[in-house]
Amino acid sequence: MIGAFATVDFRISIAAEKLFSIGGISVTNAMVTGLAGMIIMVAILLYVVYKVRTGRYNRFVGLVQWVFEGLLKSIDDVVPDRVLARKVTPLAITIFFFVLINYWLSMLPGLDSIMIGGVPLLRSLTADLNFTLGLAIITVVTVQYYAIRHLGVLGNARRYFRNPVKDPIGSFEGILELIGELSRGTALALRLFGNAFAGEVLLIVIAVLTNYFASVTLPFFMAFELFIGFIQAYVFFILTLIFTSLAVTSHGDNSHDHSPALESQTDPQAGMI
Amino acid sequence: MHTLTQFASTTTATGGIFEALGIDWKTLLLQMVAFLILVWLLGKFVYPWLMKSVDERRDGIEAATKAAAQAQVAALDAQTKVAQLLKEAQLNAADIVATAKLESVAALTVSEQKAQKRAEQIVSDAQAEITKDVLAAKKALYNETLELVAMATEKVIGKVVTGKIDPKLVSDAIKAIK
Repeated sequence: MIGAFATVDFRISIAAEKLFSIGGISVTNAMVTGLAGMIIMVAILLYVVYKVRTGRYNRFVGLVQWVFEGLLKSIDDVVPDRVLARKVTPLAITIFFFVLINYWLSMLPGLDSIMIGGVPLLRSLTADLNFTLGLAIITVVTVQYYAIRHLGVLGNARRYFRNPVKDPIGSFEGILELIGELSRGTALALRLFGNAFAGEVLLIVIAVLTNYFASVTLPFFMAFELFIGFIQAYVFFILTLIFTSLAVTSHGDNSHDHSPALESQTDPQAGMI
Repeated sequence: MHTLTQFASTTTATGGIFEALGIDWKTLLLQMVAFLILVWLLGKFVYPWLMKSVDERRDGIEAATKAAAQAQVAALDAQTKVAQLLKEAQLNAADIVATAKLESVAALTVSEQKAQKRAEQIVSDAQAEITKDVLAAKKALYNETLELVAMATEKVIGKVVTGKIDPKLVSDAIKAIK
């Protein structure tokens, strides 16, 4: 078994592979899958909206509505300001559905077996760092946008830059906050990418290790990956909300309270998946 | 292992970690723009309808909950009112029964009195009638007796007796008959 495993030529690439170029922009296999995922998602949501508008409900529409309602409830729970919650809803829910569908697309059997010039035609978009990093940048920029809208430019800047003479600890905390913003974005991108990429590698390794029994063993791992996909989509969704909520919440009088207990309560990164 | 070797060699060859990880800024920007367009489109044409339906559903549930609570309160009120009405009805019924009993007793008494009066009247009438009849019979008997006496006297004395002849004789005859 180990000998057979060693002789197998794994085709695992961290980067999405280029299929062709349009106007100097490389079109990768992840982008093709992402496009497919986008079409599927838009089709599903348009179908649901059509059914909702015409009042013809079925189980599938009910399921999507149920998920949508659950997400809305999460948004209302996490973001205290209802107006802000409604504003951030499109981004957060799109992140959830888009990540979920694209993550689940990576579970499609034979996804990477269709080759064009030795390059797989399809590859999960969530296993492409360009996408996850782009999504993280959008989240961080959106969080900053809403923070500036709520606190003002100076108010938001005061979260990071304080007078080191008057408030040395606060000043240090501001620097940590600034580093935290960068690390949050990076963590968002790498967490999703790492899980999706590792999931794909796991499925390939299991398929190779179990050889002829792969058709028996793989479904279990695929089901597990489906669950992980849901978790990752929800984590990205909820972190977007938490970061937004934290950014628009003024610390007020508690800004000088540097109790570790309080810090751990307010820091969503503590103990994060 | 092959991947790691490839990753390491790429990093050292070009010196760029981003390139090794497959980060292409043009692709990244394109994907960000595409995603933002998707968010805008869905936010404009899809989510409002879904949010509206969810809000309507929530409103419906809230309204139904309120209506249920109100119905429960109304049911309790109705139950209390029914109990109160039942109690009042029972009291009224008891009053009515008591009144009816009293009235029936009174009516019975009145009717008994009437009946007694009537019976007494009938008895007294009957007694008066009987007395009258007795008197009439006595009178008739008296007259008949007088006639018999007269006839007997006629036979004894051999002439027609009249009141003028000898009242004393007649009265003696009657006494003798008695």
